Amino acid sequence: MANDNYGIALGMIETRGLVPAIEAADAMTKAAEVRMIGREFVGGGYVTVLVRGETGAVNAAVRAGADACERVGDGLVAAHIIARPHKEVEPVLPAGKTA
Amino acid sequence: MANDNYGIALGMIETRGLVPAIEAADAMTKAAEVRMIGREFVGGGYVTVLVRGETGAVNAAVRAGADACERVGDGLVAAHIIARPHNEVELVLPAGKKA
Repeated sequence: MANDNYGIALGMIETRGLVPAIEAADAMTKAAEVRMIGREFVGGGYVTVLVRGETGAVNAAVRAGADACERVGDGLVAAHIIARPHKEVEPVLPAGKTA
Repeated sequence: MANDNYGIALGMIETRGLVPAIEAADAMTKAAEVRMIGREFVGGGYVTVLVRGETGAVNAAVRAGADACERVGDGLVAAHIIARPHNEVELVLPAGKKA
């Protein structure tokens, strides 16, 4: 899984279109020590990017990401943080760098 | 990665429909020395084309591309430049030459 004693909090940003999603991903990784764990094409033009890290870092990252992508294209749909996702939720998440 | 000492700036143009995306790609590659690194069907009719190159070249290319595709079909959704994407962001970009 994507939590080798690194912080397990989960941050998610969903946008309408790919461009704001990439902008959000860039802002998030620059704002705090978080790892990108995936990008998902949800359908209907929605794109979600997910990060993990310490709760505080994820919080800062998601705020920065949401702020940054609001100004780009069709913008933000959702920004959310889960400080400690339940074990059962892990299979729903993209696997990260591991296969 | 798509940055063998060639310029790492990232330019993105998102359009509603494929035709303006192709027009944008054409205008971008003609306007400046940039490489196309991918085309993504985001869903919901959104198409994104991505280029990389020197920051100045990418800037000129994205301006030209946005201008050109505005007049075609349903037109432009977003045009954006990231001068130096964070390492972690490479994960969410289309792979480029790498598999």
